[in-house]
Amino acid sequence: MDKKQSPQRPVFLKVLQKSSLSFLAMAPLLLGVIGLVGLFQVLVTPQMLASLFQGDPFLDTLTGTLSGAAAAGNPIVSYVIGGELLDQGISLYAVSAFILSWVTLGFIQLPAEVAVFGGRFTLYRNILAFVFTMLIAVLTTLTMQVLS
Amino acid sequence: MKKQDKPFAFRGQYLLLVVAVFYTVLFFVNSHSAWVAMQKSSTIFLKILPIFVFVIFFTTLLNYLLQPKKITRHLGKDSGVKGWFWALMAGVISHGPMYAWYPLIEDLRSHGMRDGLTVVFFASRTIKIPLLPMMVDYFGLTFTIVLSAYVLLGALFQGLLLEMLKPTKG
Repeated sequence: MDKKQSPQRPVFLKVLQKSSLSFLAMAPLLLGVIGLVGLFQVLVTPQMLASLFQGDPFLDTLTGTLSGAAAAGNPIVSYVIGGELLDQGISLYAVSAFILSWVTLGFIQLPAEVAVFGGRFTLYRNILAFVFTMLIAVLTTLTMQVLS
Repeated sequence: MKKQDKPFAFRGQYLLLVVAVFYTVLFFVNSHSAWVAMQKSSTIFLKILPIFVFVIFFTTLLNYLLQPKKITRHLGKDSGVKGWFWALMAGVISHGPMYAWYPLIEDLRSHGMRDGLTVVFFASRTIKIPLLPMMVDYFGLTFTIVLSAYVLLGALFQGLLLEMLKPTKG
């Protein structure tokens, strides 16, 4: 049996150096996004977000999606705000959309996403995420209504 | 196909510059808010620093242990059902903010990862395993199960739709 010559494995330290350098190259981009998240958390309070909801299920779902996309931070914060919104009588449609878009959509990270993945891919991904956030929010709420 | 090494160049300097200008303006308008925002950003940076370290090591390990051909086989256009499954699982397991994973995903894409799988990875990140108990506490077990099931299905549909709308480069 012929022994196939396998490609030589690169030296680990060289690979580590290469990975570190490509990460370092992206550092200004990541620091910029982190800086924006900090600014957002100070300038936009949960109370400001809650005041955006008007009580109309459809409009609130849209508002939930957009405000979740505009918000930034740990998803736990979205659960806390979502819980407060439910207590205030905001529909489950809106709250589901809000906690979903908090993670999958992000206006703040858009410049970084475009720089890394390109404008076309970012546009497609965000449109799909936006549509599916609304869809999943509606389906989840309808399923909850059927189950209860 | 041999991948050419890109020359080292910083990316996002303009974004960082714009953010620095925002901070400077805020510092003159309301120095307290600017200071708090800087503290919050520093806390976020320290919190996700371990994820950055993990991403660097994981990228290194992938490039060290797997030849680009192998990565393409698992995540490329011929990856099949397994590719979708891995992207879905990776999205669910991955922790921290989305942007922390950009370097790794960019590296995998340069080795031929399908765009559809990239979308599946990002879409399935809504499910955060360590945060599930908290979600159950706030919204109930039924809501958590129903939402998670739709998120997983939705992630797959998004990946498939992307490949239909924007054929992958493979």
